[in-house]
Amino acid sequence: MRKNFKKVLVVVLALVFCVSMVVALSACNDKGGNHFVIGMSGPLTGGASVYGIAVKNSAQMAIDEINALGGIQFELKAYDDKHDASNIESIFANMLDDGVQLTLGTVTTAPGLAFNEMAKQENMFFMTPSASANNVVKDYSNGYQMCFADNNQGQYAAEYFKANYTGKKIGCFYNSADNYSSGIQAQFKANMQGVSLVEASFTDNKAASFDTQVNTLKDCDVIFMPIYYEPASVFMLQAKDTVKSDCVYFGCDGLDGILNMSVSDIPQEISMLTHFDSSATTGKAGDFNRKYTEKYGKDTLNQFGASAYDCVYAIYQAMTAANITDTKISHSDLCNALCEVLNGDFQFTGAITGSDGNTATGSNVTWDSNGYVNKSATKAIVKAAK
Amino acid sequence: MSKFDKKTFSSFFNKLKNVKWKHYIAPIVIAIITIVCGEMSLTDNLKMTYQVMLEKMAIAMILAVSLSLVVGFLGELSLGHAGFMCVGMYMGGKVAAVMVQNAGYGNDNVFVFFLAVLAGGLAAAICGFIIGLPALRLRGDYLAIVTLAFCQIVKTIFINSSAETFGGAIGLWTPRMNRDYMFILAMGLLLITIIAVQNIIRSKHGRAITAIRDSEIAARATGVEVTKYKLLVFVVSSFFAGIAGVLYSYSNAGIVSSVKFDYNYSIEILVMVVLGGMGSINGSLIAAALITYINIELNKYLTGNLAVLQNIIYATILILFVIYNNAPALKDFRERTNPKRLLSKLKTRNKKESSDVRDDEAAWDRVPTKIHMDEILSLDLRIQSNEPEKKMPDDEEKQ
Amino acid sequence: MEYIINFINGLSLGGIYAMIALGYTIVYGIAKMLNFAHGDIIMAGGYTVVVTLGLLHQPIVAVLFAIIFCTVLGVCIEKVAYKPLRGSSPLAVLITAIGMSYLLQSLAQIIFGSAPKMVLDYLNLGVLGKGAFTISVSTIVTLSCTVVLMTALTLFIKYAKIGRAMVAVSEDKAAAKLMGININSIITITFAIGSAFAGLSVIFYFMLTPTMSPTFGAMPGIKAFTAAVIGGIGSIPGAIIGGVLLGVIECFSNMIPQLAPYTEAIEFGLLIIILLVKPSGILGKMKKEKV
Repeated sequence: MRKNFKKVLVVVLALVFCVSMVVALSACNDKGGNHFVIGMSGPLTGGASVYGIAVKNSAQMAIDEINALGGIQFELKAYDDKHDASNIESIFANMLDDGVQLTLGTVTTAPGLAFNEMAKQENMFFMTPSASANNVVKDYSNGYQMCFADNNQGQYAAEYFKANYTGKKIGCFYNSADNYSSGIQAQFKANMQGVSLVEASFTDNKAASFDTQVNTLKDCDVIFMPIYYEPASVFMLQAKDTVKSDCVYFGCDGLDGILNMSVSDIPQEISMLTHFDSSATTGKAGDFNRKYTEKYGKDTLNQFGASAYDCVYAIYQAMTAANITDTKISHSDLCNALCEVLNGDFQFTGAITGSDGNTATGSNVTWDSNGYVNKSATKAIVKAAK
Repeated sequence: MSKFDKKTFSSFFNKLKNVKWKHYIAPIVIAIITIVCGEMSLTDNLKMTYQVMLEKMAIAMILAVSLSLVVGFLGELSLGHAGFMCVGMYMGGKVAAVMVQNAGYGNDNVFVFFLAVLAGGLAAAICGFIIGLPALRLRGDYLAIVTLAFCQIVKTIFINSSAETFGGAIGLWTPRMNRDYMFILAMGLLLITIIAVQNIIRSKHGRAITAIRDSEIAARATGVEVTKYKLLVFVVSSFFAGIAGVLYSYSNAGIVSSVKFDYNYSIEILVMVVLGGMGSINGSLIAAALITYINIELNKYLTGNLAVLQNIIYATILILFVIYNNAPALKDFRERTNPKRLLSKLKTRNKKESSDVRDDEAAWDRVPTKIHMDEILSLDLRIQSNEPEKKMPDDEEKQ
Repeated sequence: MEYIINFINGLSLGGIYAMIALGYTIVYGIAKMLNFAHGDIIMAGGYTVVVTLGLLHQPIVAVLFAIIFCTVLGVCIEKVAYKPLRGSSPLAVLITAIGMSYLLQSLAQIIFGSAPKMVLDYLNLGVLGKGAFTISVSTIVTLSCTVVLMTALTLFIKYAKIGRAMVAVSEDKAAAKLMGININSIITITFAIGSAFAGLSVIFYFMLTPTMSPTFGAMPGIKAFTAAVIGGIGSIPGAIIGGVLLGVIECFSNMIPQLAPYTEAIEFGLLIIILLVKPSGILGKMKKEKV
């Protein structure tokens, strides 16, 4: 039986190979059209896929709008990295094969820390909507962030806490196994020296119960929670009777999307420090929310998507500024041209309709020499206390 | 002088003739592929896609071969192979990172690479020894859960390490070897792994190990040192898993972290071994290469909205394949569609047309009966497939 | 004081684990296979509750639907992926189980999207007790239901004809066949029962955590496997003890901030120690190997 098996394996291998050749040949045909190819890599399947899909949808939405204008034409190629850095090498190779000319980098941080190395070697432009670790773009002259770096988030939050919550009992709830969460927490803690913090951590975003952590944090007046919205919603629901009802949950941009969960009947206030307000109905953020909800529904509406939407428009604006029209341009030349524009006194003014300096994710957006973004962050009250 | 030369040459030639080439078919094929691709790569003719794919295949094959030693030959279920790989990755990666960052070696330094490989392999082997100890007392699924526990513990400890030691949740920076020849080194280590494992299996130690698998009590009764061999297998297998870990750290740009190395990854490796056929090194190799290939290709072509189909196609292939290959009800169908049988049928038909050997009297001592070749073959097959689970220790040689 | 509160929390979490492990251990103990798709059957049950509750707003109906759907799904999976492989290597079934797990996960993502879905707070039963010493009613309900179901199942296996046939199949398939037991149908029934329990455990899970996402299956999969092995393979009370133990250990180690990041390591470290002391689990019987 074993002997048959190997022969069968070989036959299947050959079959798969043939099929892939056919697919490859058919894929070859649409290469080198009259458009620029934008690549992105994000988790489109698996546990973190809600973020990757948000970015993919939003970028596609922005590209459709830009293409409808008739000027520069784009095409989006979204690759699935499954939130695993070890897939980046082959994805990047595929991007080169598929003629990708510029990229949105990665959606999440861990793959981003591999992507930037590859992009540097090949001189590929990337502007990541949401990979927020400090060293995703630092030291990489061809990389830019649309979100705040974790360092900045921790620091902004600490400043806000010092200014507004002195004398209150401050708690901190974070995921120690996640680099986004533990990164912000470390920076927050470092900036909060002299203030005593009650800390509770967890290691699994899909944990069934946070009862123990709720119990640890139950006497706090403010709870800083630099975590994603899924575990946050579970925590809040489990804590709603135990934690003081005038307590404030204070999150970072990862908390965005919490309103999609049924958290409306918890008594505590939920706030977050963010560049994007997913409940906005006016301004550019409101426009984005309306359009996205119409097209893809509310489920995956979050700041990841809004950032990606802005990324595409920022790239579009920079390309217009650099006067790039030749779609046959190599990725390296394109990267140099874009970096030159962005490192100059470029200011991103948002989607074309009414360029008033406001974007979906903050206003007066510029980038510093590290590739970090400069823009305003606001405290948004997602849900007021009852 | 010339006579002497001729003699040694002929004796060498005779020795070469006596080598059972069938045993070395896998290393030879891999060596040829490596040489061809290596030549292409060093002359800039190999695409990056294939360089990366070959690296990944080499790593997967090392993992599969080393795990098949535990699962296929010793007969113990291990769900912690990713844990050994993780230890190797961190230890080897750390050695390499320190050498590169503090001692001024380049990223592509081969000396540093081999030092890292050795360090990672040894660290993993020590862990294998520690995990091998409970294996003497535990059996079956109880042992499986201990190896799984080991894997999760290792992952947790590395994630919580400080930023200075192993990088914590952010991950550890490790050097990236030049893509042009990284896969050649990986394939070289794969060859060493295959030859080492094959030699263990074909030696008396290997027979002892398979004897333990078939019946531990009987093996003990015949004087096999069960303790020694179980530990040996765990140590050797984890050593090579550690090497695969170092290769992994060397083949990833930027930062590596332990998040990936949970029990799910162990199960992925186990799938390769089981799919390849228990106790078959060549099968494990083919399955590992095939699974890696399928996953990379699916990832390449199913982008955007189609990405979700990757797992559906992969899962369907797995299920259909295993059912086709193992289902007792499909035995007849399998035999009818067996390519080897079809091929031999074709061959005999062609032979008849060209020359009729059976009528040649001189050939009688070579073909002792008048039974047709394909009948012998199918008879042979039937005997084998009646007893799929009970394999002789020297099955590997028969292949 | 802290310890008592966290012990209660541990019981509530452990109750869920025990409930999940109950369904897992039936299949595991009798069909002797690692059913990696069990967690995903629970996930399918969870989405059934989400959908039926959204349409009908009837918790009881949703519960019944979930149980029925899980049972049907479990039997279908068994027929398609496991039954053809009966009689071949037990590890071959492991691969189809993993394949099924991937398949269910991807299908859930296609149908329901990757964002987590929430069930309304339909089963909030409130809390008992005063001040710091509160225990939620759902914890009591979960634990008592677990104990009742465990007893029922143990009695079923001990006294019912089918139950005894199940034990016979698990102990010696060939001998069971000689005794006139239809092995195929007994294993199918085992799967049906196991999957029904999977559907049932969703209800208790939702009392604690009302969210469901396509990748939910991994957590119950590993917890149930661990609980079942720690309690002793095939022992139904053992699975309950294993589940509760896991929950309590998890809560205690989460309580201390320095230990919290190492929760998983502590959990599994204790497991290793327990298994070294009792190599066949807490309630497992040491099988004498015959030559």
